[in-house]
This record gives sequence, structure tokens and C-alpha cells, in this order.
Amino acid sequence: MSLSGEMIAFILLSLVAIIGGILLINLTRVVHMVIALVFTFISVAGLYVLLSAEFLAAVQILIYSGAITIIMLFGIMLTRHNDTSEKTAGVWRKLLLIAGIAGFGLASYAGIYNLDIPVQETKLHEDNTRQIGMALYSDHMIPFELTSVLLLAALIGAIILAKKDDEKKEGEES
Amino acid sequence: MNLDTLLSYEWGHMAPEFIILAVAALLSLLDLFLPKSYNRRSLAWIALVGILVAVVSLIGLLDSKSVSILHDTFRLDSFGKAFKLILLIGAACVILLAESYEPKEGLKEYRGEFYYLFLTGLLGAMVMTSSGDLITLFVGLELLSISSYILAGMRKKNPGSNEAAMKYVINGGISTAITLFGMSYLYGLSGTTNLKEMSGAMSAQAANGQFLYLYGLAFFMVLIGLSFKLASAPFHMWAPDVYQGSPTPVTAFLSVVSKTAGFVILLRIILTLFLTMPGDDTQKLSFLETHSIYISCLAGISIIAGNVIALRQRNIKRMFAYSSIAHAGYILVAISALGYFTFDAVWFYLLAYLLMNLGAFAVIQLITDSSHSEDIADFAGLYRRSPLLAAGFAVFILSLAGIPGTAGFIGKLNIFMNALMTDPGHFVLASIMIAGTVISYFYYFGIMTQMFFRPAASTEKIKVPAGIGAVVVLALAGTILFGVAPNTALDFLHNNFGSFNDFLK
Repeated sequence: MSLSGEMIAFILLSLVAIIGGILLINLTRVVHMVIALVFTFISVAGLYVLLSAEFLAAVQILIYSGAITIIMLFGIMLTRHNDTSEKTAGVWRKLLLIAGIAGFGLASYAGIYNLDIPVQETKLHEDNTRQIGMALYSDHMIPFELTSVLLLAALIGAIILAKKDDEKKEGEES
Repeated sequence: MNLDTLLSYEWGHMAPEFIILAVAALLSLLDLFLPKSYNRRSLAWIALVGILVAVVSLIGLLDSKSVSILHDTFRLDSFGKAFKLILLIGAACVILLAESYEPKEGLKEYRGEFYYLFLTGLLGAMVMTSSGDLITLFVGLELLSISSYILAGMRKKNPGSNEAAMKYVINGGISTAITLFGMSYLYGLSGTTNLKEMSGAMSAQAANGQFLYLYGLAFFMVLIGLSFKLASAPFHMWAPDVYQGSPTPVTAFLSVVSKTAGFVILLRIILTLFLTMPGDDTQKLSFLETHSIYISCLAGISIIAGNVIALRQRNIKRMFAYSSIAHAGYILVAISALGYFTFDAVWFYLLAYLLMNLGAFAVIQLITDSSHSEDIADFAGLYRRSPLLAAGFAVFILSLAGIPGTAGFIGKLNIFMNALMTDPGHFVLASIMIAGTVISYFYYFGIMTQMFFRPAASTEKIKVPAGIGAVVVLALAGTILFGVAPNTALDFLHNNFGSFNDFLK
């Protein structure tokens, strides 16, 4: 395993991503959590660049680091909220959780440690935006169109659940 | 790809999906533009007509050969047709229940949304039955899940409903993440999302122990993620709270349509990918044969946990949640035994379960709505208040318990024989199944004693709305018909779908 520039960049980015994730769980103030989340999102975008998936990286930054975090911040600002999180679980539960995570980590590590995936010549990195577009609008048209139904259902659902009931107000006016 | 190749696909075979989509769109537009004072209840009949038209178009497609559109992202094979039929019948009954649903605090403002979210959920489930591509399967799963999350939280002023929606979203999100992680392993190792190509790639790679190990990890992650959807123990924690808190038609939808869809996607992924893949270095047994013990464990734990915890429940919807966990266990027995008749057994059991469970939920909805409580004691003296309704409910309960002469008995018998006929026979699972069934008699017959032998709190006669009456009559007819003459259903299955030969082709 040689220490190339790509390797160093990968190590740095993945470290930032993991630390961001851990901080997200451990920090107590909501705004700090969001900042930690942004670090994770941006370093994941960096990983996409390393894999020559520039379009995905741009989308990751636009949608996740941009839109979703901003919406979260708006949500925090506009709602009444208890700024710090509630009591945490007991010691035994934490230990069990850590054991479970460590066990899963070891199991996956055992699987990928010596893994040798034969490398194939691909043209996926050339014009990848164009290629994604072609795949999306030809071969994967059915799931793509279904996703639009999914988004519509989610949108309607969000409106139903968040809408303020105006039944009473109307009654007063009439 | 140009327009001509796109139009050369046989889009007519997606007609049932298009019809459901069109009706959902129509309902959402009508809901938007109709005047506020208009009673949205009549929209249910449009939804019902839409589903019935979809059933008719599906029956028209029964004779056609298996069709693949756009590299299997949609494929209509006999497996898809058979299970789509179950989903559509179930959804039609659920819409009828929703039409008559009248909760205490009212559902006036959101009645329109109520109907078309059922339809989008149904669309997701239908897409899952007929797709040979991981991406489409996953989008279908999410469409069903997101529609159900919202439906569970429909009673906004009811704390129980809010809790149900919140728990369902969080548990569903976790399960989705686990499933997706497993799927990413499958895609990363095989390099394709098409299930058929993936299966070929996996069989070729499995000689390498390292790849076999990683495919094993992926198998477990997908299995665990989907077990949440099936509500099989030990991944059932969300089910009782969600079933209890959701509006009753939504509970019926979750326990019938959503569960059927979960089994469908499980069969699709697990059977297509792991049935032919060699399970060890010797390449004698297939992966599924060497690892079916894990599915057996899930089945055994579900049967025991579901039935034992149901004994202690006083809330009828909670009790049915645990009973549905046990029923998921029975069906998992059929999958883990993996005999020649697995598909038949699963299909018949799901059909029987649909009829008896929807019938039971119709009565439960009527009683809980009129008494504003969900305690089992509300069923006391039902026989005096409405003898016909009590008799119908008794048949559904007998069928759920698996008494001869009902569809539930035949379904259980099929699964039981299926478990014993394989070589080596699954004797432990079969005996757990019998033990679970015996335990289930206690709580099922507890409801019967309430209905027939306890005095009623009120002597008021119960008025049965048309929708609920129709569901009860339909479910009653089906339960008894398939119990007395199960061959009507099995012959239909064999004549129209063969033995699911085109599943893997």
C-alpha cells in the first residue's frame, strides 16, 4: 500500500467524515450538530471527486450541504426547541452497542481486508454528467418516474402533517 | 436510445400500474379543486372503481407470457401477476374500510389525502412485485414505506397516532438504511443492479471464499432490513405501537398489503440471487440451503414471541399486531423450508390471511369506532347486539387460529406439509408451528368467550355501514370457500401461473 497523494487525500477526507459523524452524535447543542453534519457531507463530496464522480460531488454539496442543512437550521430557528438533548442511555446499553458496532466492523473488515477485485477498464469517468443523464432517461426511466411519485407523496405528506388546523379559526369568523 | 425503441416496448403490460397512478393523480386534483364544503367521502368510490378496473386489466393480462421492459426494470411474470392480484384485492377492501372510517375526533380535512396515499402505497407495492432490478425494487419499497408513514400519522390530534408515525419513520429509516447497505454490497461486488445478471455474476464469483463471505454479509443485511418490513421477531418492536396508534384502515393496510409486499420483495431478492449461488467451496449445496437456518430462526422466534406476548394484551389492535407477527413467522417457515411448493404455500397463505385478517379488522373497526375504546371487553355480548356480525367475526377468528373448514387451516396445512416434505424435513420448525398454534387458541378463544358468553354493556343494536358490510361478506365467503374447497384457489393458481417457471428466466 503506497502512500500516494490520492491515499493521503482519502485518509484525510474519510477521517473528517467519520469525526463529523461521531461529533454529530456526541455534541449536545443542535447547531453544533448541524455543523458537524456539514463536515461529513463535504468530505463525502470530496470522496466522490477522488472517484472521479464530479457531478455527484457537486450534487452532494448543493443538495446535502446546501439545501438540507439550511432547512435544518431554519427548522431549528423557527421552532421552539429544547437546546440540549435529553438523558442518555445506561452504561450497559452503551457497552452492548459498542460491542455490536465493533463486531460488525470486524466482520466487514475481515471481508474486505484481502479483497482483490479485478480492475476493469471503464469509461465511467468521461463525461459522467452526460452518462448519468443518458442512463437516467433511457434504461432507468421507470424507477426515475416512480421517484417523482415518491416525492409527490412525500410532499403531500409533509403538508398534511405540518399544516396548521384552521378549522377553529373559520368557525370564529363565520 | 430513440423514441422508436422506447415505444417498441409493450407498455400495455404496465396497465394496472398506470391505472392506479392515474386514479391517484385524479383524486389529488379533485381534492385540490373541489369546494371545501364538499364531502370528500365519495372520492373513495372513485378509488375503488380504479382498483377494480386495475384488477380487470390484470386479469386480461393473465394469459400473456412474461414480459420485460427496459432491461427488466419492469417485468410481468407469473410471480408478479399472482401477488399483484392479492395486493389489489387487499387494497380494494382497505379502501372500503377507509370509506366507513369515522374516528372520534373526525377526519374531515384529510379524507381526500387518505385515499390517494393508499393508492400511492399500493403502487409502490405493485412495482415491487414485478421488477427484476434492485433500483426499481428499492424505489417501490420506499414509495410504499413513505405513504404508510404518513397514513399512520393521519389522526393528527391523537397522541397515539403521532407516536405511531414517529416510531414507524425512525424504525423504517433504520431498516431502509440496513437494506440499502446490503444492496450496495451486492451492486459493488457484482457490478450490476439487474437481478438476473447479478445472479450470474455471483455464481461465477462464489468460488472465491472472500467474495462468498461478502455476499453472505450482504445476504444478512438485506434479510434483516426486510425483516423489519415483515415485522418478524426480533425486529418487530415497532409493530404493536404502530398498529395500535394508526387509524384502523391503515392498520389493516399495514398488516395485509404492506406485509404481502415485504414477502414479495424478500422472495424476489433472496430467491433470485441466492438460490443458484453455491454455498461453500465444495459447491454441492446452494447458498440458501446452507444458510436457511437463519430464516428458520427468524420464523421460530416470530411464532413463539408473537403468540406468547399476544396472550397478555387487552387492546384488540395490539393483540392483532402480535398475531400478525406470528403469522409472518408461519409464512417464513414456508420460505425457509424451500420445498417444491413454497410459492404455492406462501401465495395461498397470504390470500387466506388477507381474507381473514381484513374481515376481522372490518369488525374491529366497527366496534372500536362505536365504543371509542379498543379494549377487548368492548366485544362483550356482541352476539346479543348483532348475531350475524358476531358469527362472521367468529369465523375469522377460527380461521386465524387454524380450525379445519376455514382457509386459515388449509394455508397452515400447506406450509406444514411443505416443511415436512423437504429433505431433510424441518421437524423442529413444524413442531414450533404446532405449539404456536395451540398457544394462539388461548387468546383467539378469549375474544370468542367475550362475544358469546359475557353480558353486553349496552343493548344498542349495531348499524353496519355498507362498506364494512361488503368487506365482511366478501371475506366470509372467501374464508369459507377456500376452507371447504381450497382447490378452487389452487387450481386457479396452477392454471394461470403454472409453477412459476418464468421466475428466474
